Amino acid sequence: MPLYGTLDLTQSPARLPTLGNLDTEAWTLPKAEMMQLLIEVPRASTDGLLPKAMHPALPSYVIFAVTRYSDSPVGPFNLAALRLGSRAGAHPRGFLLGAVASSDAAAKELRQRWGFPVEAGEVKFLRRHDRVMGTVKKDGETILDGALLDPQPVAGTDVQYINWVTAANAPLDGQTQPLLIQVDPKYTIYKADRGKPQVSTFDAAAWNAPGLRLADPIIGTCSTVDTDLPRIRFVMDPLKPVFQGTRRIRESRVDE
Amino acid sequence: MKFGLFYEISIPRPWTPEKERTVYNNCLEQVKLADELGFDHVWAVEHHFLEEYSHCSAPELFLTACAMVTKRIQVGHGIVVCVPEFNHPIKIAERTATLDLLSGGRLHVGTGRSATWTELGGFGANPDTTKKSWDEFVRCLPKMWTQETFSYQGEFWSMPERTILPKPYQKPHPPMWVAVTSPGTEIDAADRGMGSLGLSFAGFEEQEKKINEYRRRIKTCEPVGAFVNEQVATTNFLFCHEDEKTGVEMGKKLGNTFNYLATQLISTREVFSSPSYQSLGLLPALRRAATGPDASEQQTEGMAYGDPARIIRAVKKWESLGVDCINFILNANEVVPQEQVMASLKLFAKEVMPVFAKKPANVAAAAE
Repeated sequence: MPLYGTLDLTQSPARLPTLGNLDTEAWTLPKAEMMQLLIEVPRASTDGLLPKAMHPALPSYVIFAVTRYSDSPVGPFNLAALRLGSRAGAHPRGFLLGAVASSDAAAKELRQRWGFPVEAGEVKFLRRHDRVMGTVKKDGETILDGALLDPQPVAGTDVQYINWVTAANAPLDGQTQPLLIQVDPKYTIYKADRGKPQVSTFDAAAWNAPGLRLADPIIGTCSTVDTDLPRIRFVMDPLKPVFQGTRRIRESRVDE
Repeated sequence: MKFGLFYEISIPRPWTPEKERTVYNNCLEQVKLADELGFDHVWAVEHHFLEEYSHCSAPELFLTACAMVTKRIQVGHGIVVCVPEFNHPIKIAERTATLDLLSGGRLHVGTGRSATWTELGGFGANPDTTKKSWDEFVRCLPKMWTQETFSYQGEFWSMPERTILPKPYQKPHPPMWVAVTSPGTEIDAADRGMGSLGLSFAGFEEQEKKINEYRRRIKTCEPVGAFVNEQVATTNFLFCHEDEKTGVEMGKKLGNTFNYLATQLISTREVFSSPSYQSLGLLPALRRAATGPDASEQQTEGMAYGDPARIIRAVKKWESLGVDCINFILNANEVVPQEQVMASLKLFAKEVMPVFAKKPANVAAAAE
């Protein structure tokens, strides 16, 4: 059967975000500008990054997302995130390795509500006619400098965003324990461009991914998009195959 | 109704030379038996880099071996990926003609463009242009097979005048098919006068719509080849057993394993935003079905497993929808022991195939 990840999250629960409950309300994040850069990575460089419950994507790839949220319940903020392409059972997912938010409030809320491994830092999103750029600094050091080169318009329907999985300590059955959490935003895309992804600076360790190396670029996109960050519906045992260890904790949204 | 075998050649980890060889030999043994039992076709896919799901990257070699150990069964090279980074069209014309000669005119040629990033990215192909290159290829192939000399200036490939050799055994040329997974591809097949080689496991309603549209469109087609190949084939799983419960359980195990492996593939649309890949092909249905490799529910309707009576009901339903041929997947990751695969084929041939056998002309006339 398919390969599995090797990361045992129960061995290092202290480094995971902790959720007070699984009852967070949804967030609506209108008219964000989101740049995504997809890049293949050597399979061996992802060793130890994916939880045992999940399957690696083959070939291995990562998704950098740098997003300017002009409106949110905690005010405007920028967010940069690094996800590892993977499978939760039969479904494509991006396992969130690391993230940086441009405001302390956003970082705190994203950690506590959805289990984002996010810290506060400097996140810049710049759009020019010949490129879209995202740069991230933490403690004064640049940890990501990426761009979408030569953006060309495509239809919003040409763009697909896969759902997220985060790892966090969360209360379930009266016990706070490491869990995988499915974060499945609903996207409404208004405008989209496509181009070549380029990453000139990447500090893997700063994204909780030591050893991760970038290889062949796949594609980059930038879209204007409404994002509904949902209530949590599914949590997964981090050690069991997802098809055996998934718990539904809430019914699906009415629009699903 | 015709019946065929459909091979992805799925091989479980850990891979050893002996295991890969054993699986290939198992497949050849099945094909030899199927030929003796009266099955009509054996198809083999072309896939690359698809771990466990399909190790069938050189189907023309496998099919040549099939042709050499059989007498009657027709060999389907399908699908050949019609993307220049994968296959040069001259090589496609040459090797298909050779296979047709070696098989004594038993070749069918299926065409397609690949659906996964794993494969397209692996060959450095541009997903935006695969539909266009496929179109060029399928228009050139019949001319390359039939014209004494051939030259071409196209968008995706060109060649000065040469004689492409050998020529196929069948005249004017082997039947041509298109792999149909994405919605709308059945129309591409119909408009070009090509057979519809269905590779999805959609339910009756969706298939009926596709078949009706195919039949309607092909009436006014402009065939790319020298003749219209109006045929609709679909894919199914086969496990036939005297005991219905045993047959259904093993059939589900086979189907779940296949579906689960298929859902691990990276569809092009998942990672590469392109107007050329608007659909995820067969994956959405598989993901709905593949709750896990040991799931017990959620199988799509019309699957050919169970006892003969149950399978006859399913096949009759497909026949009533206008399906001309069902190609069966017999195994995935070797979850069905070889001796059970062989027994299933024998029971199917004994109990099911006669129900759908074409009546001899004099019997049919007498019945009227």
